[in-house]
Amino acid sequence: MTEMRWDVAPGDRPTIPVSEQKASSGFLVYTLGLLLAVILTVTSFWVANTTAIWAPGVPAGLAVLAIAQMGVHLVFFLHITTGPDSTNNVLALAFGVLIVFLVLAGSLVIMANLNENMMPHTELMNLQMQR
Amino acid sequence: MNVAVEMDAVRQGELLDISEAGPAPKRIIAGFGFWIFLLSDIVMFSALFASYAVLAKASAGGLTGVQLFDQRNVAMETALLLLSSYTCGMMSLAINSRRYLATFLGAVVTFLLGAAFLALELREFQGMIALGATPERSAFLSAFFTLVGSHGLHVTVGLAWLVLMMVQLSLRGFQDVVVRRLHCFSLFWHALDIIWVLIFTVVYLMGVLP
Amino acid sequence: MTLLGKLDWSAVPFDQPIIMGTVGGVAVAIVSILSWVTLKGYVPYLWREWITSVDHKRIGVMYIVLALVMLLRGFADGIMMRTQQAVAAGGAQGYLPPEHFDQIFSAHGTIMIFFVAMPLVIGLMNFAVPLQLGVRDVAFPTMNSISFWLTASGVLLTNVSLAVGEFAKTGWFAYPPLSELQFSPGVGVDYYLWSLQISGVGTLLSGVNFVTTILKMRAPGMSYMRMPVFCWTALASNLLIVAAFPVLTALFAMLLLDRYLGFHFFTVDAGGNAMMYVNLFWVWGHPEVYILVLPAFGIFSEVTATFSGKSLFGYRSMVLATMAICVLSYTVWLHHFFTMGASASVNAFFGITSMIIGVPTGVKVFNWLFTMYGGRVRFTVPVLWTIGFMVSFVFGGLTGVLLALPAVDWQVHNSVFLVAHFHHVIIPGVLFGCMAGYNYWFPKAFGFKLDERWGKAAFWCWFIGFHLAFMPLYVTGLMGMPRRLQHYDVLSWQPWLLVAEAGALVILIGIICQIVQLVVSIRHREKLRDTTGDPWNGRTLEWSTASPPPAWNFAVLPRVDELDAFWAHKQRVLAKQELPVRRHAYRPIEVPKNSPVGFVTAFVAVVTGFALIWHIWWMAGFGVLGAAVTLLAFMFRTKDEVEIPANEVGLFDRAHPVEVSP
Repeated sequence: MTEMRWDVAPGDRPTIPVSEQKASSGFLVYTLGLLLAVILTVTSFWVANTTAIWAPGVPAGLAVLAIAQMGVHLVFFLHITTGPDSTNNVLALAFGVLIVFLVLAGSLVIMANLNENMMPHTELMNLQMQR
Repeated sequence: MNVAVEMDAVRQGELLDISEAGPAPKRIIAGFGFWIFLLSDIVMFSALFASYAVLAKASAGGLTGVQLFDQRNVAMETALLLLSSYTCGMMSLAINSRRYLATFLGAVVTFLLGAAFLALELREFQGMIALGATPERSAFLSAFFTLVGSHGLHVTVGLAWLVLMMVQLSLRGFQDVVVRRLHCFSLFWHALDIIWVLIFTVVYLMGVLP
Repeated sequence: MTLLGKLDWSAVPFDQPIIMGTVGGVAVAIVSILSWVTLKGYVPYLWREWITSVDHKRIGVMYIVLALVMLLRGFADGIMMRTQQAVAAGGAQGYLPPEHFDQIFSAHGTIMIFFVAMPLVIGLMNFAVPLQLGVRDVAFPTMNSISFWLTASGVLLTNVSLAVGEFAKTGWFAYPPLSELQFSPGVGVDYYLWSLQISGVGTLLSGVNFVTTILKMRAPGMSYMRMPVFCWTALASNLLIVAAFPVLTALFAMLLLDRYLGFHFFTVDAGGNAMMYVNLFWVWGHPEVYILVLPAFGIFSEVTATFSGKSLFGYRSMVLATMAICVLSYTVWLHHFFTMGASASVNAFFGITSMIIGVPTGVKVFNWLFTMYGGRVRFTVPVLWTIGFMVSFVFGGLTGVLLALPAVDWQVHNSVFLVAHFHHVIIPGVLFGCMAGYNYWFPKAFGFKLDERWGKAAFWCWFIGFHLAFMPLYVTGLMGMPRRLQHYDVLSWQPWLLVAEAGALVILIGIICQIVQLVVSIRHREKLRDTTGDPWNGRTLEWSTASPPPAWNFAVLPRVDELDAFWAHKQRVLAKQELPVRRHAYRPIEVPKNSPVGFVTAFVAVVTGFALIWHIWWMAGFGVLGAAVTLLAFMFRTKDEVEIPANEVGLFDRAHPVEVSP
């Protein structure tokens, strides 16, 4: 059975058989990924500490940078691409992301709402969350 | 008489869609299975993240994040873990081309960087506890130590796994099962760095915003 | 701290006759069975063929045996509660003191959900999915064994709590602050938490295993839209396991940290937030019920199509409905705590999503009805369970739509109306489905059918008994009766509760009928023998194997060209358009090797869990060490496969031809 294997394990480089991958092309991919990640990380730290950005926008900026960093990891280190050989892996990831989003967003909205209605509002004791 | 038709006898050379090609090879099965497990682990972390987010301001009169978090330390931890992800990638390349020395070198450097990350984190925890900011002090601290501590625990398990894999590699060489397991390790290690991105962003950076 | 932590003789409830009687009886039964097995020399056979087996068929059977045994305990808890409530009205106090009653309703829920429904469903999926997919085993057979044995560990720990210590008195969700150390200082909640944490790991690993198997291991030619519907529902269910169980793991870890290390996630002081427990519990809890019911829906699809002699109506819409339910089940969880204090807008959102989720289920019901319409329906036992389901589940689901309205829910939340609702969907849904599956696949697993007459008697007893037991609860719920009452003063509830008690007794007769069915079937197994492998004139690939199938399932993996491939092949053979292939050459087949890893893991888990519950730290340390050693032994094992020689494969294959008859 030597039919062409189109499927790829998560983390494997897509399409090109392992034996034909040039060592240098792999090296480039990882190095580029590292550089991008470093840039994004440094930027995150700067955004959190600078006064140059409008304060209410900072959390959003940090979130965007975090998502970008995760994307860099997924693409450059984990080789998750949109090719036809990677469909299962991408779908699984998408499912995971959906669940994480539902759990996080759902819980945050619900808890904020519940806390607002149900937790004691005291200025003296720091018991309740203010988000 | 048998119902089953010989696979060889029919449709030789036909290009099959991947969904029709029969059971996948072991490497893909192992890799995908581990990928699904990693996704479940990420869901677990999201539950811990949700708890942290809900309890982040519940310091019960004790020390808060603004007072406790040291950004320089976090920056160093981030750099160490990110670099260790990179060296893990180098190790993966060495495994792909079956080079023993490069594999071991990549593993050693990854291990050292990961261990340094843990050392910094333990020192940070120790410092907080010395100030009375123990996990039993407040809900915020419980959530912080659990979330960040869980990540650290995963890193510890990863380091132990790496050591065991190097032992197995030296005993068995690049056998299929060893290569599959090393591949799963690298998936694990990269995923841990992804979780760390979220931790340093949400816990430390957002945590010290005014 | 003494050498045995918190454990001493006062842990055994010598002063409680009911418990001591039960423990004594169970101990006698266990010792008798173990002695009989040993004296008859069955131990080597059991060890080799079952305990260390990594074969999905054997593991599936073991799951179901475990579940059916625990059904007896869970049902005993249930009938004890019914009896208590039937008598404890007004001045009468009943026979169960509150502290005991509280443990009973907590254990009843925990056991029925985690140790009856889950193992039944997972066991049936274990047995049938690889056969239906046309492959030899699941993706990770050894891990499959570990999953089973971890579930068994949870079962053992929970049952040990009856004899040594106590169980949780918090109800099966264990809400804080009641479940915190301050208000539950005993070991009960710890038994609950550690049992479920341990079995939860097993379940999660099962989820990973089956998602991988279904997505990456199917017979050649079996594209997604040629998979049996049961495999689609198994996929959806296992995706939900992977998505939901980690949340429960994190949640229980947080409660354990609160109880063991004094953390403050859910405590009343230092900033804890008990409402967050409720939120995260139901983030898991709602998908859990879909984890249970989706495979049951799959079984109904298989049974309906097979016994109507028609292909399932609307295959595509079934698949879409299944995957829709999978995703939607993650958007409704707040309906479990409408009354906790969220605003009207939040409640309304979840009320709407809770109603939307009824739609794909409705699609499925119509598809089943349209499958039966125009078919020649054979009223076998699985079909009876299916029709019983269709009739009952629709009404149970309707009460769910009622409850989805926050305004209505506010009136009946935590009343027995709610209890009636969820039993009205779980029993006809999950339990009837598993009974149908059990009767349907039994001949495949053991080579002989189950007795039809006793099967029908069992069904009717269950169907009538279930309705008698639970319909009165709708009435008393609307009359204001809360759930979990050990005693009540409203005498007008009592007549209804007496009817409910009668229902429980009818169900008991049904269970006895099922036990008799099994005994009679084993006695008459030669008369009931399935010689062809296809006792029902089935449609899917499992019926193309011998009954029971060999370890390797298929001598050659079948090539699949369409949906219901086996049925299509049979039709073509009958129409003389196709000749069955006569095979001359067989190849050796590699099957996974047996492994004691699962059993050893269970032993270690039980020791560790027990030690942690009773704060015996040195023993817990040994347990963790044992786990590490087991892992190392597994990691460094040299042989994980065994080769079946080609002539053995050939001998079996030629001895078990598939007979196609009109």
